[in-house]
Amino acid sequence: MSLAAEAFVSQIAAAEPWPENATLYQPLKEDQILLSDSASSLAVQTFLRMCGLPVLVSCRANAEYMSPSGKVPFIHVGNQVVSELGPIVQFTKAKGHSLSDGLDDVQRAEMKAYMELVNNMLLTAELYIQWCDDHTATEISRPRYSSPYSWPLNHILAYQKQWEVRRKMNAIGWSGKSLEQVYEDVSQCCQALSQRLGTQPYFFSKQPTELDALVFGHLFTILTTQLTNDELAEKVKSYTNLLSFCHRIEQTYFKEHERESQSGSSRHSKGSLP
Amino acid sequence: MLKMAAPSELFCWKAGLGLPSVNTDCLIVLAYARFAGAPLKIHKISNPWRSPTGSLPALRTKDEGSCSQPSQIIIQLRKQKYNADYDLSAKEGADTLAFISLLEERLLPALIYALWIDPKNYVEVTRRWHGENMSFPLNFFLPGCMQNRQLERLRLIRGNSSLEAGEEAENELYHDALECLNLLSQRLGSNKFFFGDSPSSLDAYVFGRLAPLIKIRLPNCRLQQNLKNLDNLNTFCCNILSLYFPSESKEGVNRPMSSTQQGSEFDNEPYKRRKQLLSVLVAVAAMLSYALLTGIVAIEHMQEEEHVSPASLRGSSQDEEEEE
Repeated sequence: MSLAAEAFVSQIAAAEPWPENATLYQPLKEDQILLSDSASSLAVQTFLRMCGLPVLVSCRANAEYMSPSGKVPFIHVGNQVVSELGPIVQFTKAKGHSLSDGLDDVQRAEMKAYMELVNNMLLTAELYIQWCDDHTATEISRPRYSSPYSWPLNHILAYQKQWEVRRKMNAIGWSGKSLEQVYEDVSQCCQALSQRLGTQPYFFSKQPTELDALVFGHLFTILTTQLTNDELAEKVKSYTNLLSFCHRIEQTYFKEHERESQSGSSRHSKGSLP
Repeated sequence: MLKMAAPSELFCWKAGLGLPSVNTDCLIVLAYARFAGAPLKIHKISNPWRSPTGSLPALRTKDEGSCSQPSQIIIQLRKQKYNADYDLSAKEGADTLAFISLLEERLLPALIYALWIDPKNYVEVTRRWHGENMSFPLNFFLPGCMQNRQLERLRLIRGNSSLEAGEEAENELYHDALECLNLLSQRLGSNKFFFGDSPSSLDAYVFGRLAPLIKIRLPNCRLQQNLKNLDNLNTFCCNILSLYFPSESKEGVNRPMSSTQQGSEFDNEPYKRRKQLLSVLVAVAAMLSYALLTGIVAIEHMQEEEHVSPASLRGSSQDEEEEE
């Protein structure tokens, strides 16, 4: 969002309270959504739950195209549409709900830096594994991404998305990396997160912040998603404090949700942590 | 331990604009090499095609080939036991990764925009330097190619394929960058380096990304004005320059003085006049030779015959007079 639009949205946002019918849009859960989008969506849902704001999750095949920035998830609140975690955090702050008010300046700097770490390394690694690893792309990503569409549109859209992601990897210098190196990067990222978390319940001691929501979204999705092999999940599982962190947030914020949704596990994602 | 093996070679953009190297990635690698005390053979060149990987910076090792990304070069140097992060605790190592990610996502796009995409800065500073310092005939087309590549890179990093030079993009990028700079300033506080008294890879990255913004005088960059207020970051950069790049910082002080304070127009004026005279002379000579070779040649021959005929007449009349 441009600065002027942001300021405008903030002003309008501040005027109205959070409505009951706020909706979050994401791609179809069973057939279409991929690992990276699922992680981002879970991060936003966790953040809103932590703020105590109700939101309905609606799955649409064209969620990506409905989004103002082209990225999922996005939320529809009142008469505004906001996409991606960063702008959503600012939007909720304008409405008076914030998780990071209690932090001092140095802590806020660290929080922002670690959020960028997750975006820079974990999210990029997820995209790489999905789209740049030929095996995964052929077996999982392309079929799932194009499942709502009929031939020939499904092939065209899938290859277009793959090409776009590969160009991005090229631009940021990841195209020369092998899969092993990417797993190594994931491991380093998890080690950094594990170090920062230490033995505390949340990253900044007693209260969860948007960083906790983001980390939970990505780690939980990695742990509960079955890809062509389990190596990614194994890298995360080797850090026990991260595992217990995920358990804790799942128990605290999603226990009710799990009791409600008794659906059996799909081929793609399992319901809860092993 | 005496190292018998030949040192690795590092290819970098050469010094200019007040910095040990004009390219931000090269600055990172040079700074890290100095911090870790790595004995590298440094080649400062201005032709990226001469580098072993086709782009700069590039590290060529004897056994393991070449690599170009700053992160890969640093990993390679660490493998050779030149590790500036040796003394860091595990938490500091984690913070390093996090803050480097912050730099790459928030500050680097604004830096690319300020140097390569903003039209005024590109024409007056970046393209001018590259045009003057690269060899013929690369200096005619390579800066343009590099600009296109940087725009493409910026669009892909930001995920916005319709990003163009303009006020909207500028505001957005500089806003994010300013937030990043404030966060860095808060983290640095009044310390000399980010972790204790000796510099680490995070200091190298921050130096590499900040030094161009602090040292290069850009005509149209609001970010530089805001950066002047963050004293600790300015001191941090100047500190590293004076401690680890003493020779280059002295040269750098002189160069911007001579080229900008006296005014670039005065320097160029005598050359401008000379060039104008030369071009006028060349044009006149070209026109004359074209005229000689095509049309006026005939006229000149006729004039000679006319001269000849009165002379012969006179000659005959003189003969007649003499005879008489």
